[in-house]
Amino acid sequence: MILSSLLLFAAQPLQAEASEPTREPTGRVTVYRLGQVETLEGDAQKNVSLLVRDGVIERMGQAVIIPDHAEVIDLRRSGQVATPPLVLTHANWLIEGRRSGGRNSQFLALDSLWLEADWEQDLLEEGVLLVGVDPPGSGLPGRTSVLEVDGQTGQPEPLVADLHLKVTMASSSSAKKLIRDAWKAAEDAIEKEEKAEKDWKKAREEWEAKQKEKEEAAKKEEKAKKDGDTAAQDGGKKEQEEEAPPETFEPPKIKPDVSPLVDWVRQERVGQLWLRSASDWLHWQDLLGERELSYEIVLRHGRSQNFGEVASALAATELRVEVPAVISFLPFTRVRANLPAELAAAGVEKLILAPPNDSLSGVRSWRLGAARVVAEGLDRQVALRGMSVEAAASLGQEEMIAPLKSGSPATFVIWSGDPLDPMSEVDLVVSAGKVVYDRAKKEKEEAR
Amino acid sequence: MNLLSLLMLMFPAAPAAALDSPLLWQEPPVEEVVEEEVAEEPVEEITEQEPAQEESAEVEEVEEVEEEDPNAEDPNSPYLAIIGGDIHTVSDGLIRKGTILCKEGRILKVGRRVKLPKGARRVDASGMQVYPGLIAVRTNGIVSGRGTNIADDFDPFGLNVDLGLAGGLTTVESGNGIAKLTRGTLEGTVLGTTGWINLNYSSTSPGSRRSVRAEFSKVRDFLRERRAWETAKAMGEEEGDEPEAKGLKSGYLELLEGKAIARFNANGLKDLLSICDLLDEYPMQSVIFGGQEAWACAGRIGRVGARLVITPRAKSWADDSLNRPSGWSIENAKILWEHGVTFSILPQQTFISTGGLAGRDLLNLPMEAAFAIRGGLPQQAALQALTLDAAKILGMDDRLGTIEVGKDADIIICDGDLFHYRTFVEWSVVNGRVAYDKAKAPYFAHIRPREVPSMDELVEEIQRAADALEEEAGNAEGDVETVEEEVSAEEIDAPGGI
Repeated sequence: MILSSLLLFAAQPLQAEASEPTREPTGRVTVYRLGQVETLEGDAQKNVSLLVRDGVIERMGQAVIIPDHAEVIDLRRSGQVATPPLVLTHANWLIEGRRSGGRNSQFLALDSLWLEADWEQDLLEEGVLLVGVDPPGSGLPGRTSVLEVDGQTGQPEPLVADLHLKVTMASSSSAKKLIRDAWKAAEDAIEKEEKAEKDWKKAREEWEAKQKEKEEAAKKEEKAKKDGDTAAQDGGKKEQEEEAPPETFEPPKIKPDVSPLVDWVRQERVGQLWLRSASDWLHWQDLLGERELSYEIVLRHGRSQNFGEVASALAATELRVEVPAVISFLPFTRVRANLPAELAAAGVEKLILAPPNDSLSGVRSWRLGAARVVAEGLDRQVALRGMSVEAAASLGQEEMIAPLKSGSPATFVIWSGDPLDPMSEVDLVVSAGKVVYDRAKKEKEEAR
Repeated sequence: MNLLSLLMLMFPAAPAAALDSPLLWQEPPVEEVVEEEVAEEPVEEITEQEPAQEESAEVEEVEEVEEEDPNAEDPNSPYLAIIGGDIHTVSDGLIRKGTILCKEGRILKVGRRVKLPKGARRVDASGMQVYPGLIAVRTNGIVSGRGTNIADDFDPFGLNVDLGLAGGLTTVESGNGIAKLTRGTLEGTVLGTTGWINLNYSSTSPGSRRSVRAEFSKVRDFLRERRAWETAKAMGEEEGDEPEAKGLKSGYLELLEGKAIARFNANGLKDLLSICDLLDEYPMQSVIFGGQEAWACAGRIGRVGARLVITPRAKSWADDSLNRPSGWSIENAKILWEHGVTFSILPQQTFISTGGLAGRDLLNLPMEAAFAIRGGLPQQAALQALTLDAAKILGMDDRLGTIEVGKDADIIICDGDLFHYRTFVEWSVVNGRVAYDKAKAPYFAHIRPREVPSMDELVEEIQRAADALEEEAGNAEGDVETVEEEVSAEEIDAPGGI
């Protein structure tokens, strides 16, 4: 006992010395003191301290007791602002290859990934931590995937390989036929499966009944044996040759391009409906009829920017709607349309504010576009939520990227100023307590 | 006026008894005659009365509306009232300061004394000219798709749909399909197909002429054979099976049976006359696109009953080497009209254009007709060419082309005479819905904006109109209609005219 405590005494300073340079993250406390935090749940908070331990914001508020051993990063005087990271729901510039329209639901976006060496640094520079990618092509081009931007080079492991079923809608008889046929194929597959299951059940029941009969016959046989009758033995043997149906039901194989559709029709999968014009929405409603499906809506710029025509109809569905952060002219007129604001005013609650266009430069002008949309009427909070937490929810990652408060994961971006000011830059990106991007450090390295 | 409305006028009580069902009683109660709106002006006093009995939720709702404002519009009301305009009915002359009541896409009532149901959507057309919606018998690029495919291809927010409506069009032909410009909805867009069968009967291709005649000859032989068989059967001398239509070119049988319409392209006199010869030999419904020299054989065209689609501003000069009338004539339409030929008018470009021949496109269809008026065509005939006669050419005159009880509520309201260059379409109504409103659409709202009269001005105007009517009613004996406080719902729904 005494010996062991002595040993411990001796070992302690040694241990501390050895662990000091590597700094185990476990139990380590970092406190970020900030002038302003956009929590994205209620108004911005001023003069806030974030106490981060084990990748979680343990405490957040104006009066946080700072432990003695904590590392304190004081950013109060520089006007820096913290927000949850931005989330890019569609980054199709990370996808290579074209596929003609048609039913290609078997493909995953992951299959077509084509990443530049610096793609993660490019995104982190803009405060983006999570990226959704879509399969290329129109019609039913495949299923979407989700990537996490962790700042490590190389081919990333997807966070989610198989998320939504992408469906692009157009106001044309051919587009409608494609979707109608796809539903028909899925329904046929479901019907086939149901029939196969029925047949299997029947065969199994019959076989089980026969087995029982056999058992009884065997019992009788035994009895007969005892009685010394050998004639019954031969008859019993012949029947045993019949093959038994499998014990569990094996559904018939569904074609890989139909299988995701079956899931969608059964409401076990979320669809991602891409619309190019207001008319597409009416045609979709016409196509859908009484059918119930779960899906989200992505509004893309197409021939005309006329989604305002169906804003209240979209709001009535209570679905999540994604819209680019752009103010545009109504076709052939000088009438300006702020579609994100129109949608919010019409009552769309789950609004995703996407970059003005699907490219790296689109991502770089994302905050500028959002700022314009906010300047002309969209609520600031709605815009910021639509660029981060709402977009994360669309990718099924609402727990990873959540409003900043005590108990949330320590995943946030620290901007050099107001995130909607295009002059602001990303200073720091923290993912689950770990710094994945540090502008000052990067600039130093580059200067070297 | 059609037969139905006449009957209604003669026996106004007849349908009321038939419709005495409890279901119809739930229709919103009638408020009053248009012209008597002023007579009961101090509405607020009435509204102070005790609240409505709570019978059912639906009734309660209606009563609430009443308490607020008797003229309140219910955007979901099945009724649309176009009030106070000069109505050019096409079928029945002009009704000054009349009202059109539409219900669920059809015209329910037309006249100067029309009772309005509660909550009806209203268009104040006072001082405006009201016409049936214009029909273009051939278009490209306004609606996409062909035939009945239009239903799946239609863009109800398309720019050209908007501009078509701004130009007064409510129905267009496109790829043999007939579509209404139902802006904002996919409901009731497709009317059907034209049933046209294209025949090449041009003097420049004698081969196809010969084959057309040969095919018709075969069909005629077959029809004779079949008629002989039918006669024999009717007389009890049945001989074998009914003859089968084998080896006949598709469409030709339908043409001679009167189930389809032959469509020709012809401008020159020679071609027109040979088409007349063909129609003499094989009588059938027909429409000829072009007809530049039709004025030179208008009588002949009239006698064979061919319909025409002409373009008054399309010109070709007379050929001096011919010893006969030739070339275009500004009087073409007038001469055709004088000879009783049914014709419609199209501009040179059958789409909506912003360049090139702008002004000769479907944005300005009435201007094309105005040129025919310049050549002597009566204005009424020009209007008919763009509405009823166009509907006839499409085979849709049972639904379109006039402002008559029972017809589709496709109506345009203009700020002046349709054929004046200054005139704009203020509203286009398609299937009883306001599909275009100049003041709200972004295209022409800024040009001579519609003056919105103040409330006082409106009241004064209505008061004046009411006084004038009262005076008029006092002069004409027995013309005055005393209106009960509550008019039954079925009376409102009974179709009626002036």
